[in-house]
Amino acid sequence: MAEIDSSGGGKKGGKKRSKKMSTKIDMTPMVDLGFLLITFFMLTTTLAKPVTMQLNMPDKTEDNTQTSPVKMSETVTICPDENKVYYYQGIPSESATVLNVTDYSDTGIRKVIADMKARIGNNFTIVMKPTKKSKYRNVVDLIDECAITNNKRYALLEIDPDTEALIKRSGK
Amino acid sequence: MPKVKAKRTSVSLDMTAMCDVAFLLLTFFMLTAKFRPEEAVTVVPPSSISEKPLNTKDGVLTISVSKEGGVYLATDDMMAREFMLERMANKYGVALTEEMKSNFLSSEVVGFPAGAMRQVLNEKPSEAKSKGFLKGIPIDSANNELSYWVGYAKLSNPAFKIAIKGDQNSDYKVFSDIIGTLQAQNINIFQLVTSPEKRPQ
Repeated sequence: MAEIDSSGGGKKGGKKRSKKMSTKIDMTPMVDLGFLLITFFMLTTTLAKPVTMQLNMPDKTEDNTQTSPVKMSETVTICPDENKVYYYQGIPSESATVLNVTDYSDTGIRKVIADMKARIGNNFTIVMKPTKKSKYRNVVDLIDECAITNNKRYALLEIDPDTEALIKRSGK
Repeated sequence: MPKVKAKRTSVSLDMTAMCDVAFLLLTFFMLTAKFRPEEAVTVVPPSSISEKPLNTKDGVLTISVSKEGGVYLATDDMMAREFMLERMANKYGVALTEEMKSNFLSSEVVGFPAGAMRQVLNEKPSEAKSKGFLKGIPIDSANNELSYWVGYAKLSNPAFKIAIKGDQNSDYKVFSDIIGTLQAQNINIFQLVTSPEKRPQ
C-alpha cells in the first residue's frame, strides 16, 4: 500500500526518501499587510492637509471711485469680542443706535445673520469691526459664518472710537 | 479498470506578483510623500467649513502667528530664501559666512529680529530653537522687518501666494498688523489656513 503520511514516523518498508520541502510560500498575508499599509498611509496623508479660505481686502492704493455705496439700512456692523458678538445697525455715534449682544453658537450670530439676510435681501452687507480683545479665531469664525449663510458681501475693518464708545456705553 | 477522475484545479494562486505590486506602491508613496515642514512654533489653526486646499503651485509664503503673537515666515522656495537672506544681511550690515548661509537654508522658518541674525545663524536651526532665539519677526510700526522680508521674497518670486496661519488664540491685533503691512505693499489677497470642519446643515 502506497500511502503518504505527512506526519512522518511511518518508515515501514520501501525506499528511504529524504523529505522534499516545498519552495512555495503562501504570500497572502504579506499582500494583506502591503495593502493595509498603503491604505493607512493614503488615508493619513489626505487627512492632514490644511484648507484655506481666501480673504480679499480692498486695494488701498487705488482711488475708490469704482466702489458702490452701501445703504445704512442694508448694513449690519458686527464686532466680535472674545466670547460674545456685538452687532448693531446704523451710526454708532447716534444715541438711537441699539447695540445687541449674542454668542458664537448656531442659534446666536448665525441666526442673526440669516434673519437679517431674509429681511433685507440681496444687498445685505456685513461690516466686521473686531474689538481689541478679540482673538484671531473669532474673526475666522465670523468669516466662516458668512460662508455658511452664503453671504459674499462682507468687509473687515478696524474698529473706530465711536463703536468702542457705543460698546462701552451699552455696558454689555 | 481505471476510475475516471476529474482533474482538480488548485485554488491557491501565486500571490508573489500581487505582493510585489503592493510593496512597490507602498515604497513609491513613502518616498514621494513630503514630511510636514518643520515649524518654529506649534500653531493650532481655527477651523472653517472651507474645502479648498492650499494651492502650492506657484510657491507659497506662509506667515505663521504663534499663540504669544510671534510672527514667523516660511517658504519652501530655496531660491527665494537665499535671495531674502542676502538682501536682509546686506541691509542690516551682517557679513554672511558659508556656515550661516547653510544654517539658514536648512531651516524653512525665519523667525528672528534682524539684530539677532548673526547670533541665530551661527547656531544649528534646532539649537537656535531650543535656546529660544526664535522670537519672531518684529512688525511694529517703528521697526517693521516683516515688510522687508516679504518685499524681498516678492521680488524674487512675484507669483508668491501669501498664506496666513494664525493660532486660534492669537490676538487679532497681530493679524491686523500683518494685513496692514502687506496691504501697504499692495498685497490684498490672503489665504487663511484653517483646519477643515463639517458644514452645518
